[in-house]
Amino acid sequence: MKKFCLGIESTAHTWGVGIVDFEGGVHSIINNTFIPEKGGLHPALVREHHLNNFTDVIVKALLEANLTIKDINLIAFSQSPGLGPVLKIGALVARILSQLLKIPLVGVNHCIAHVEIGRLKCKIENPLTLYVSGGNTIISAYESQRYQIFGETLDLAVGNMIDSFARDAGLTHPGGPKIEKLALNSKKYLELPYIVKGMDLSFSGLYTAAKRLLESPDFNNKYNLNDIANSLQETAFAMLTEVTERALAHTEIKEVLLTGGVAANKRLQEMIQYISNEHDARFEVVPLKYAGDNGAMIAWTGILRYLSEGAHEITETIIKPKERMDNITVPWRSKRET
Amino acid sequence: MSSEIYKEKLIHKGAEASLWLGYWFGKKALFKYRVPKKYRLEEIDKKIRTERTVNEAKALIKVKSYGLNVPQVFEIDIQNPTIVMKYIEGEKLKNFLKYLDNTKKEKYFKQIGIFIAKLHINGHIHGDITTSNLIITKEEKIFLIDFGLHDYSDTIEDKSVDLHLFKRVLISSHGNDYNLCFKAFIEGYKSEYEKTNKSECNQIINNIKAIETRGRYVKSEDRL
Repeated sequence: MKKFCLGIESTAHTWGVGIVDFEGGVHSIINNTFIPEKGGLHPALVREHHLNNFTDVIVKALLEANLTIKDINLIAFSQSPGLGPVLKIGALVARILSQLLKIPLVGVNHCIAHVEIGRLKCKIENPLTLYVSGGNTIISAYESQRYQIFGETLDLAVGNMIDSFARDAGLTHPGGPKIEKLALNSKKYLELPYIVKGMDLSFSGLYTAAKRLLESPDFNNKYNLNDIANSLQETAFAMLTEVTERALAHTEIKEVLLTGGVAANKRLQEMIQYISNEHDARFEVVPLKYAGDNGAMIAWTGILRYLSEGAHEITETIIKPKERMDNITVPWRSKRET
Repeated sequence: MSSEIYKEKLIHKGAEASLWLGYWFGKKALFKYRVPKKYRLEEIDKKIRTERTVNEAKALIKVKSYGLNVPQVFEIDIQNPTIVMKYIEGEKLKNFLKYLDNTKKEKYFKQIGIFIAKLHINGHIHGDITTSNLIITKEEKIFLIDFGLHDYSDTIEDKSVDLHLFKRVLISSHGNDYNLCFKAFIEGYKSEYEKTNKSECNQIINNIKAIETRGRYVKSEDRL
């Protein structure tokens, strides 16, 4: 008989539930995403949204998978990293389900989950991963028992930077896809700060400079929003690509995985594809359904952890809002690759 | 470039730059050419390559002015972002460190320590101190090369990170010689830095330990 894991994603604005079997078959993915009327994500409002919607999403996920809650053998939840008040809801619901159903419970690192679902869905063994979203910007690869971080942002996540700029420009959330569309209408490049420090990136100066372009008297005069959108994307993505290429040259890894919400951007895909070709590496973009935050990635990573190290004691399920992905060993990788 | 200046042979192709041997008015010279990257807009590409070429050349000239052994810059070509510099004849420390006797190792690493201390006192961070970037000449002069990741900074953190990266290189590439070499290196560094600012020197060295305890740098076996 098949065994199933129910995974709960609750690190930011998405309350997601996914059901995955122990062989890696995904049976359902249901998300309910908080969309702010204005402004960014206020943790208290996100928390309220998740509290109001969690049962509904769990029920829908079970229905879609054609299962009842009694068929579930394992509960996984996003334990780190993310917004504290939001992580707490996921942990709370997971603990209650585990206690009620008397089934094991596993806490999962959200960033590792992004890599693992990418490996599963793209059938990729050992990738260099560029994970770009609203909350994270990380270049990582597996080395000595963990997903080591080769480069990362020193301040804003790239998705957050683009969304914030879009908001300043009067676009509604989510701003990323709208910026991508606008950029297609422009061939003009306005100079913006390009900041790569060794292997790390900084986006805050870029954000401020782009915002200043909006406020300048030259706006809608010498240039328009399309031009800023184009320049912003070109600069930010060139920075990401440069660091990814350096990591690729250094590690000599032959597979590249692009994931996270920003992975949907065609221009970024094109750039990463280009350097992958230059280094004879296979390039895969995680399908959008799995690249954005979702419960299936949590469920699958929970299964991997459960099968190699067992479940967590309830006392070990305290949330860790700031935990880095390289802080955790991934024994399921070393087992297969000794 | 005129006929007195010419590239002859490609000796290294890196992710960012390619290195050529050639001649500059009869002198043997090294050409560091930053290669174009087609994935980014030409405007960005040109700007980045030019900026980095100029910054690296400026850093080399500045460091040279303190009397430190770094390649002398002959000229920079802004059109095809290239630094033409003196070719340092010698051997990379990486290639022969293990064949040296202990007194020699101590002597060299002490000198390297003094060298890096002088850099740091003057507010320069090399950013990539490795045994491949240290060249020993026939006259036993030590040269530091490749200022591609150079930065200006006066903070304790940045200086510690510079030392920490060197320590990691020694551990990973020269495990057997690490203890002796790093000890001599720190001794040299201290002897020079303390002349200017003893308490800052101690803070820099103590901060290396603090960096190591941060998740990112802790080795798996030390953490489990």
